[in-house]
Amino acid sequence: MSGAKSVAPENRTVIGLTFGNSNSSIAYTVDDKAEVIANEDGDRQIPTILSYVDGDEYYGQQAKAFLIRNPNNTVAYFRDFLGKDFEHIDPTHNHASAHPKDVDGAVSFTIKDKAEEDAEPSTVSVSEVATRYLRRLVGSASDYLGKKVTSAVITVPTNFSDKQKAALLAAANAADLEVLQLISEPVAAALAYDARPEAQVEDKIVVVAELGGTRSDVAVIASRQGMYTVLATAHDYEFNGVALDKILMDHFAKEFLKRNPSAKDPRENARGLAKLKFEAEATKRALSIGANASFSVESLSDGIDFASTINRLRYETLSRTVFEGINRLVESVIKKAGLDVLDVDEVILSGGTAHTPRIASNFSNIFPQTTRILAPSTNPYAINPSELGARGAALQASLIQDYEADDIDQSTHAAVTTVAHISNAIGVISLNAAGEEIFVPVVPAETAVPAKRTVHVAAPKDGGDVLVKFVEGNTHIKVTKPEPKPKEDKTAKVEDAADSDEESDFSDDEEEEEEKREKVWKIGNTLAEAAIRNVKKGGKVEVTVQVNADLSVILTTREVGAQGGVRGQLNA
Amino acid sequence: LALPEGWTAEKDIKTVGKLSGATQRTLEPVGPYFLAHARRARHKRTFSEDDRI
Repeated sequence: MSGAKSVAPENRTVIGLTFGNSNSSIAYTVDDKAEVIANEDGDRQIPTILSYVDGDEYYGQQAKAFLIRNPNNTVAYFRDFLGKDFEHIDPTHNHASAHPKDVDGAVSFTIKDKAEEDAEPSTVSVSEVATRYLRRLVGSASDYLGKKVTSAVITVPTNFSDKQKAALLAAANAADLEVLQLISEPVAAALAYDARPEAQVEDKIVVVAELGGTRSDVAVIASRQGMYTVLATAHDYEFNGVALDKILMDHFAKEFLKRNPSAKDPRENARGLAKLKFEAEATKRALSIGANASFSVESLSDGIDFASTINRLRYETLSRTVFEGINRLVESVIKKAGLDVLDVDEVILSGGTAHTPRIASNFSNIFPQTTRILAPSTNPYAINPSELGARGAALQASLIQDYEADDIDQSTHAAVTTVAHISNAIGVISLNAAGEEIFVPVVPAETAVPAKRTVHVAAPKDGGDVLVKFVEGNTHIKVTKPEPKPKEDKTAKVEDAADSDEESDFSDDEEEEEEKREKVWKIGNTLAEAAIRNVKKGGKVEVTVQVNADLSVILTTREVGAQGGVRGQLNA
Repeated sequence: LALPEGWTAEKDIKTVGKLSGATQRTLEPVGPYFLAHARRARHKRTFSEDDRI
């Protein structure tokens, strides 16, 4: 971040900031707890929209309302244009507001931002739009905190290019904001959960599904003792909140036309369309909370008012294709990471669209019961999905606020972040209840080195001399097909089916019985063997594996409660 | 596992293999545990040295 704005640590007031295409939010930490700040309109999710009326600047919810009456001087959905050439942007979402323009290859907007009636419209670069918006956002945080906010940690998508990051930094600096660090959105969400006092640091595979307005981003993260490594990501611009709005818009527009056969289609004029969209989004939000929601627009088309209701079930039926698209996105990224749904310990739902109860319940069906689905409708301890990014950013900001800017740069340098991750798990062999050899993982696969883990393993029941065998292990998915039915049985059933419909349904059900899939450990190379003598009856053995940065391994083991123990070292 | 009859090794430990594989991946520079890692890495400290400070 050379040349970037920097503030001495003692003079800093820090916040966490998420800057989205649709919404942004700001958060700060108090007593190590992150709190999301509401702006002067009382909004915690602040629409990323900037609008000018008679020379006055509006942002957030107020600017959003102007999409109906003043669309041409309102700029929305501009975050993803930062640092991009005009030819590489997708202006789809800007049809209903100020259109992006090509100014020497860069993205700009032409808006009337001056009070004088006869003033020429200004051409404002996307970077300047971002600066003006960020200034307002930071201003709200400053007003709330009662002191000038100087610095922030900002979240960005995992596929943000260096050029986009540089453009965001420049826009923030121009708004007089020091950017301490740009962090990945899914990692911020994971941190927001892991930083809660009741959370336990553990080794787990986490899938973060960030479901936003204009995009859905999914990341698979190996979380290893509080350190995060992104294993795979996927991005989608089709199955998102805007697609769900569109479904409701079409639904209500058709109903309107059915009731008013002579009226013009409200989707065919800009203002009708803007009203439909505004109200559809509100109805969608209501359907995330209640089972019924109303929809009403004054003077929707041809001066005719429209009021209707919809229940959640109907909405879910209409939206099935979008929900299924999100399911496929999640499944594809897990596959891309070389994993199976059975490997996933936790699914974090993040972003505005993640409030949809149906999406969370679909995930409950995709993943095994042991996987925690962290969404308000499936877990009482879930954090508001809209607040995760800002909270994570605020926590990170509070962690690094005392660092000099140079220190932050050096700590986040590739030399520090790029390290070896072991490919196989390291563990020991134990016996299960049936007396079979099983693998007990000590250090899981994809753990960054150096790493050290200790586990307690039950020794053989009778105690005595014990062999501790250190091995590598990896998992694979064992598929057990349901036992094929004997042939006679089947023909008998077919005959039955001819007699009665009910019985034929029954036999169909049986044939569709799902195959059983389970995760099993496969024992790999032996690394070492160690002996512990005279272990007490019912005793336990403590096993410690330390993998050094050079991939040499130190193995130690002893009886729990005993002194000494044995120690061995494997060279890299 | 029970110790097989007649199993012996110097200091009761016998090393046979070594790690079969690792990949270079990038840690996310986020969270208290990463910052602790970065501190150790920059000062070239080990876990136990770090604990003592």
